[in-house]
Amino acid sequence: MKARKAKLIMLAVLAVFMFFFSSDFGLIDVEKTSIITAVAIDKEQSRYVVTAQIAVPEATDTNSENLKAHISGRGSTIGGAIKDLGDLSGWFPKLAFCNLIILSNDMASENVVDVLDYFAKSLRVQDSALVILSEKKASELLELATPLDNISSFALQKILFKNTGFDRDVYPTDIKTFCAGHYSDSHSALMPIVKVLPAGESNKGGSKSSGGESGSGAGSQSQGGSSDSSKESKSTDNLFNAKTTALFKDGVKVGELDEPLTLSFNSLFQSMRGTTFSVDGIKYNGKDTNYLLTIIKSRPKITLKATENKLILDIDLKLYCKTADHNSDYSNAALSLNEPIPDQVKEKAEQTFKANIEELILTEKQTACDFLKIKEKLYRYNHKQYSRYKDNFLSVMDSFVNVTILGQE
Amino acid sequence: MQYELKTRQVCLFLIALMPLTKLFLMPSVLAEHANEDMWISALINCALDFVTLICIIRLCRLANTNVFGIIESAFGKVGAKIFFGLYAVYFLLKAVIPLNEQKDFVVYTLYTLMPILMYFLPFFALSFYFCTKNLRAVGRAADVLWFITLTAFAIIIPLSIANIDPAAILPIGANGVVKITSGSYSVLTWFGDAAYFLFFAGEFKYSKGDGKKIILSYLLSAAILILFLLIFYAAFTSIASRQRFALTEISKYTTVINSIGRFDYLGIFMILFSNLFSLTMPMFITSKILNYIFGFSKKWISPLIAVGTQALLMVAFYRFIFGIENFIMQYCGLIFIIFGNVIPIAVSLLYKKEKVYESAQS
Repeated sequence: MKARKAKLIMLAVLAVFMFFFSSDFGLIDVEKTSIITAVAIDKEQSRYVVTAQIAVPEATDTNSENLKAHISGRGSTIGGAIKDLGDLSGWFPKLAFCNLIILSNDMASENVVDVLDYFAKSLRVQDSALVILSEKKASELLELATPLDNISSFALQKILFKNTGFDRDVYPTDIKTFCAGHYSDSHSALMPIVKVLPAGESNKGGSKSSGGESGSGAGSQSQGGSSDSSKESKSTDNLFNAKTTALFKDGVKVGELDEPLTLSFNSLFQSMRGTTFSVDGIKYNGKDTNYLLTIIKSRPKITLKATENKLILDIDLKLYCKTADHNSDYSNAALSLNEPIPDQVKEKAEQTFKANIEELILTEKQTACDFLKIKEKLYRYNHKQYSRYKDNFLSVMDSFVNVTILGQE
Repeated sequence: MQYELKTRQVCLFLIALMPLTKLFLMPSVLAEHANEDMWISALINCALDFVTLICIIRLCRLANTNVFGIIESAFGKVGAKIFFGLYAVYFLLKAVIPLNEQKDFVVYTLYTLMPILMYFLPFFALSFYFCTKNLRAVGRAADVLWFITLTAFAIIIPLSIANIDPAAILPIGANGVVKITSGSYSVLTWFGDAAYFLFFAGEFKYSKGDGKKIILSYLLSAAILILFLLIFYAAFTSIASRQRFALTEISKYTTVINSIGRFDYLGIFMILFSNLFSLTMPMFITSKILNYIFGFSKKWISPLIAVGTQALLMVAFYRFIFGIENFIMQYCGLIFIIFGNVIPIAVSLLYKKEKVYESAQS
């Protein structure tokens, strides 16, 4: 009796093993699976073109670079285009490791959520994947060579996700954040725009020449090479700049935040620890001197007060800074001595940040993209007045901005 | 009298198994109805179960036999068989959505390439084995699983907290009574856990102070659930209702996960493991009920019927599960309240009266 029981159990265990380890039961051969690291999405007429960057693992005992392949699939839906990728390549497209989704700038004139919704709803892709808007064709951005990494999507992720100590000059967005913004009451969302800089070209384009602009950036390194923009895609070395941010209302691009505005926007919503900014043109002994300040601590406070008669937005930003560098000749002390920041420098930095934040408010009013999350504040903290102001808050709102730069006393 | 359970195991049962089935589909259903007030909807149901549990604790204190004996002495043998027959149907219905959501979770998130039902079917073999055991096995499982469950939460919750917007749950109560209660009603299938305690009554030796221990264990279990729901909404805000599988989604947005990889799956797998036992509980109780009604001589017959029915339903109604889930959530709430709360409360109170009557007679 016991032997019969043991045989039955053995047979049951074997049956379970058959379920899980037999390829005849639907398991897919690992060699026929492609690991997609990034996808670029373009639109040709009414069809989507999905270009996948595929990491090709190779068994080797030598220190070799990552190998990659690019394959494009077409379809009337994103899911269809991804299916087409598999049909063309014979690989099953595995998207679990896809950490980057690139959208072509051309698509931003239509509702981009039509595209992103597939990734938000599908369990095949993790919705923590970053989303960016490419200044040029999305597939071209994916195929560019860069000295940062053999696989361009890895290089792009490096400039999007910055560790502590790097400047918070990029506004990174993932599928979840973008969709949460889009499906909120304000229907507003943001994503970074990635521009291509041939290695060696200095970072001149697109940024405003105000005192609050970011100090260092990928494009500011000089490594030699062609600056001819027509040769960008042909160049062997390209760098990326993601310091500009695109604004979306109802899924359609309605505006942009340039580099200083993106930095100021980040100072209101992110920890800015380690971020540097330059304050140029400070007169000292009749001579122009430039300062580089590091933000040690940032304390943004955005409050919205709604009454029956008034709606007031109050932005108060306190930045505790330290001098990181300056080219004045009054001090020969080491920078580690925590010397006080001159009042002139503080005043100029305050003015610059204040002007930028006021411009952010103006941009919000002009584009109707509620990237400052004012409607959200109205709903959460002033719910009694929500119905009164929810449709006209941008036109009736008064705003006050105060920026304080603090330093070593 | 030989007791099947110990008070410790009853307490650990609450912590180890009670919050688990509520972590998959339920958060998104709540968010669909009550938005940022979803946690209030869940709190209402927890309060309902809490009141039921307090009543059953009183029954546990007074009972000197198990629930089968109590009902039989009140309604007679035939009445008791009808009573428990209805309960078997209730547990059958109660298991449908949790089983299907676990099945969907396993096949869609772990077998993304080819999500087919077949991968989940071995679960029923484990359930069948567990159902052939007596209540002591539940106690032993609770002794082991509480640690696994709490470790899983200790991994998932800190990872999730790093990327939330706590103010997202404001303003409190803005969705109004109708939406909040509609949320509570729709998720009743996941609650009514106090009904299990009706079947634990008389199965463990009640000593002074045990009630407090059980109540504290339930409060801890409810607190874990409410905390999970708060974090869930604060993480997903306006798209919370679209997150069908809250468990896999909630913890993956931290920088650590982006740098190291999905090690939160350790916690997820732990919860999946503990949940296997949680999912088996309705079938376990059903098999005991069937044994009582029909008095099978072989101990494997009633588990086979209880587990086989669920497996058959899952396979046969595979194509209709969307409609079945909606039907259960929209129209069966009353059944879940009656069997999960009203009857257990009534049984507890009636038994008390009988004891008072008996003591008056003596």
